[in-house]
Amino acid sequence: MGQEERHTEEKVYRQLRANSLLQEIMLRYMMEGQAASEQGKLAWVTSGFPVEIPVTMGVNVSYPEQYGAIIGSQKVGPEICGFAEELGYSQELCSYARSSIGSVRYPEKSPLDGLPKPQALLACNNICGTVLRWYDAVSQMTGAPVFLFDTPPTEGDQPSHHREYVRQSVLRLIDFLSRTFHTSFSEERLRKVGELSGEAIDLWTRSLKACRNRPSPLNCADRFLAMAPIVALRGTEPAIEFYQALLEEVQERVSQGLGAIRDERIRLLWDDIPPWFTIFRFFNGLAARGVVFPADTYTHAWSGSLAGADLLDSVVSVYSNVYLNKGLEAKVDKMCELIKEYSLDGFIMFSVRSCKRYSLGQLVSKELVMERTGVPGVVIEGDMVDSRLFNDAQIQTRLDALLEMFL
Amino acid sequence: MARRTTIGIGLDIGSTTTKGILVDSSGTVLAASLVTTGASAPIAARHVMDELSQTSGKELTGLPIITTGYGRTSVEFAHETVTEITCHSMGVHSLNPDIRLLIDVGGQDSKVIRIGPNGRPTDFELNDKCSAGTGRFLEVMARVLEVSIDDLGPLALRSTSPSTISSTCTVFAESEVVGRIGTGAAPADIAAGAHLAMAGKVATLAKRVGLVTPVGVTGGVALNPAFRHYLSKQLNSSLWMPDKPQLTGALGAAILAVKR
Repeated sequence: MGQEERHTEEKVYRQLRANSLLQEIMLRYMMEGQAASEQGKLAWVTSGFPVEIPVTMGVNVSYPEQYGAIIGSQKVGPEICGFAEELGYSQELCSYARSSIGSVRYPEKSPLDGLPKPQALLACNNICGTVLRWYDAVSQMTGAPVFLFDTPPTEGDQPSHHREYVRQSVLRLIDFLSRTFHTSFSEERLRKVGELSGEAIDLWTRSLKACRNRPSPLNCADRFLAMAPIVALRGTEPAIEFYQALLEEVQERVSQGLGAIRDERIRLLWDDIPPWFTIFRFFNGLAARGVVFPADTYTHAWSGSLAGADLLDSVVSVYSNVYLNKGLEAKVDKMCELIKEYSLDGFIMFSVRSCKRYSLGQLVSKELVMERTGVPGVVIEGDMVDSRLFNDAQIQTRLDALLEMFL
Repeated sequence: MARRTTIGIGLDIGSTTTKGILVDSSGTVLAASLVTTGASAPIAARHVMDELSQTSGKELTGLPIITTGYGRTSVEFAHETVTEITCHSMGVHSLNPDIRLLIDVGGQDSKVIRIGPNGRPTDFELNDKCSAGTGRFLEVMARVLEVSIDDLGPLALRSTSPSTISSTCTVFAESEVVGRIGTGAAPADIAAGAHLAMAGKVATLAKRVGLVTPVGVTGGVALNPAFRHYLSKQLNSSLWMPDKPQLTGALGAAILAVKR
């Protein structure tokens, strides 16, 4: 055991060294976003948007969903969501949307003074339908135009007319960005960006796969933090720099038999977005009881790389086949596959009240996954940003009861 | 290795009542107690301990204590806390090992538990953040109809034409009942409608876990004959109820304490 290990021995979890590089990269990314906004070349994008296209065309991107996670982790969700509710938005609306709209209304009262002002809003509905109306609302407030990248839901194989329709969206997107930002598209440049994106995804996937080891080198909170560049910086060098450092550290842990938590006894799958406002307390509390999460459905979502001779076709395929854009069966399959591949003892499904698309069907999925894998699971209810929807006592009882099943 | 003991104490600290049971290693109940929880769970728990000591004539100091229920972490003299899901499951299993599906309805929650052959739960569902399927719903209805909670069930059973009461929200259902009173509906029909709405909500939860007969019912609400009547109809199944359905959580905790 190295000196550094002894240093943090009292904690139930092991801190990643790569986190300091992560902070540095994300800070630089935010400053670049600010500068891009001032130069009139910043777009806001949804997490499932084919970001390689704007990146190829020299347009910087900011992610309101990621900013929502910052609002959540700074525990100001109820306040910032409240600004949107004062404007008349329902508390039933997604808390990423509410916190985004609230922070556009009062940037001076929001973390980091809000996201830098956008010149365009790029929404892809492969993650949900709310994004379009949310971006419409932001458009009204900022004057930035909205582009919808429409990906019809797929069930089974994608029909050719679907593919052609989405391909036309890619062409429309290129046209929209050319006109809005006075820039141009080059396929050669897209290939380079696609390669960078693919390299980062490959490195990230290898770190995720390393969690098949026992003990798992990463826990849920580690991955939820480490996913920031794969969401925000796909197609750029800094993402590769970070995922190389992360993979080295992960491999080092595996070779030394070091786990993300010190006493791994129960291995669980996590489903859905985490409660950002209590992410460390929640996962470290479980870690203290020997519970580790070697896999989750969320951070495994960024796994498609652009490849092949026809790159635009690859964009169509990767971004249409996000599993939130597919039927419930695809998600159930994914969960069963992860439980088997990562040798998991059970699962926790977080029913996020805000995120209807992700949480819809969880009760049925729970039964199906239990039936197919033979491991127990539990559904707990709450939200990712709005802590008013998180009832600690009710959640604790459900978690305790699940853990008692392993005794 | 843990020290073996021949007597264990289980305390079930619920939102409405606090229950306690003293059992020996043969599963014989030596004493039982039930008090209102009130504003202080620790005081209620202490009260129950005093009653258990008096009834059994035993000195309880040093005996293993397991607490369960929503107030389970509020008692500092407990040796261990276990959820009511596991405790009800163990308690019912000790009384009737054939039960594989248990419905427990307490003051603030309703649970449906699938019990494994060893008495441990293998799956469960609890009501969501809503009191419409719990004892609190019936308490509110009793208050509006100006009858005691014990009289509400017998009143409902006199109905021949239950009113339609929404089951979506206790507060709105209360306004609905006030409306029904205003339009002259008979109190028995309103009471029956309230039970029907609640039983429907609980039955849905049970069907989600999967119906396996015979179905056990526990918790304070199980004592209500109209609830059992409508639940049995909704599930199309007979129901098994222990003599003291409010005490099975404490019983399970006590059994686990003996094994500790």
